Amino acid sequence: MTGLADLSTPLMMGILLGGLYTLIALGLSLVFGVMKLINVAHGDLVILASYFGYTALTVLGIDPVLSLVVGIPLLFVIGLGIQRFLLNRAFRISMEAPLIIAFGISLIIQNFAQIVWTPMSRGLTTSYALESFRVGALHVPLVYLLDFIAALVVMLFLREFLRRTYLGKAINAASQDERAAKLMGINTTRVYMFTFAIAMAFAAIAGVFLGLTFPFVPTSGVSFLIIAFGVVILGGLGSIVGTFVGGMVFGLAQTFGGYFFGVTAQLLVAYVMVLVILGIRPQGIFGR
Amino acid sequence: MRVTIPRLRALIPVAAVIIVLAVLPVVGAPPAWLLYLFLFFIYLAMANMWNLLCGYSGLISLCQPAFLGLAAYTLVLLSWIGVPLYQGIIAGAIVAAAFAMLISIPVFRLRGIYFAIGTLVVPEALKFVFLLWRPVGGPIVGGGAGYVLKGAAGFSTTEVYWLALAIGIASIFLMRLILRSKLGLGLAAIRDNDGTAASSGVDVFKLKLYSFVIGAVVTGIAGTAFYISQEYIEPISAFNIRWTMTLILATVIGGIRTEEGPILGTAIVVFLHFLLARYAGISLIIQGIILVGIMLLAPQGIIGSIRKTRTYRSLLRLATGQ
Repeated sequence: MTGLADLSTPLMMGILLGGLYTLIALGLSLVFGVMKLINVAHGDLVILASYFGYTALTVLGIDPVLSLVVGIPLLFVIGLGIQRFLLNRAFRISMEAPLIIAFGISLIIQNFAQIVWTPMSRGLTTSYALESFRVGALHVPLVYLLDFIAALVVMLFLREFLRRTYLGKAINAASQDERAAKLMGINTTRVYMFTFAIAMAFAAIAGVFLGLTFPFVPTSGVSFLIIAFGVVILGGLGSIVGTFVGGMVFGLAQTFGGYFFGVTAQLLVAYVMVLVILGIRPQGIFGR
Repeated sequence: MRVTIPRLRALIPVAAVIIVLAVLPVVGAPPAWLLYLFLFFIYLAMANMWNLLCGYSGLISLCQPAFLGLAAYTLVLLSWIGVPLYQGIIAGAIVAAAFAMLISIPVFRLRGIYFAIGTLVVPEALKFVFLLWRPVGGPIVGGGAGYVLKGAAGFSTTEVYWLALAIGIASIFLMRLILRSKLGLGLAAIRDNDGTAASSGVDVFKLKLYSFVIGAVVTGIAGTAFYISQEYIEPISAFNIRWTMTLILATVIGGIRTEEGPILGTAIVVFLHFLLARYAGISLIIQGIILVGIMLLAPQGIIGSIRKTRTYRSLLRLATGQ
């Protein structure tokens, strides 16, 4: 029985960690699915949100999850601005222009964070950050469970939003066929603006939960961006369920990799698995 | 022979510039200048290769750090078992080429933007490999602590400078050669429309693989030259995404899909790098703003925009005598 209990720890942790990765990857997946843009600044925007949570916690003493009441609208507006003034114009130029502009935005945010918050490692240390609870013989950190719940809530919200609201249906239409959507009277420029802003709102949520789970530095954005990319391509680009499954697979690969090959090898195992799966199924597990 | 003589005459100013650049360390140019020029040649070779991949072959490759890091690691590790540096450079180039072929199996099945994402994962995975793997030396060296290059003392600063000069100049000529060869024509056809190119008998996969491997080899050699001058390597800086950013910046500022673009772009990037060196954090913010600004205002880069102006066209008409 001890062997089984040993394996259940990485299993449980992998699934819960997968929740956090899904949360980070959802915004990336949404922007990709609708606008066909790889937003390489996504990781840095997530970390920017972590820093907002950090400032709220240390300066104002507000719980980071509560601070999202301000954080989500703030990143929503930043997203609207980026799409309206930078990316929207870039789409008209060429295919690689938005990608390169996103690279530029990533550089700017990273170094802005470095100047404002210094390169020191920070974390959102709340009263409940170190608490854990028991499930049978397992100790599960509370924040991991919160990550998973947040991922489920955001995913359900996105699903219902895309199905039930006019804007959601318009986003769906624009992602399937931009020209046809335009002919049906959908203002795709506006749809893109709101898509990017919604993705940024998700980044705000992901940033806070990331900060609760892991310590972060201004350059952490890149590592989480690459993890999020792994998750998104594993699941197939632009599919919500796919992103969730991709998050689980990546989280499990990481924790089982850590279990069998040691902690330093855990991400390596996950990356190699991404490349192997891409070699077999280039469109991802759920891609069409 | 009638064709070759005017061609040779056109090469005279180029040869003069190369000779002046080559004798600079001998006649006692300030070391700071040599450092600028050294970095310029290294970045130039890499930017030229990125231009070949992204501008001419339609491969948005974000895994260039993998090639330069692997080649440099090969050189440093071989130096620990007593292999001379020149042989180490060649071995590094071979390893980079072999790795490019290996990695092409998964990533060449991806298209366009998917290719970019797939390649982005590669350097990150390699970083973890070299954080774990300690092939030579005891347990205190290697991994995150990195390796010191052994036998670097036999290599003077001047020799490293010449090596970089040779690589930089060679990359320019290589680009000219490739673009005027059958490979270049095929690549242009693929870039414009790969379906049509394939149906006209162009082997799309093979040509893309060729340019990918050529890009890997030259980037790898430039990487070894860089790390010979550093005399020290560790995984986090070797496989850093910042390399990719520098290459994109240099190519885009100068003008992607132009031969002169990377030359001008690299000069500007190196100049900015040293001009803003005193303001560490702000320097990169300014570079980011320049990148975004150039992309929005002059998406073809400086060279591309100059070509569009009327003055350039009338000058060109004068020069060609039409």
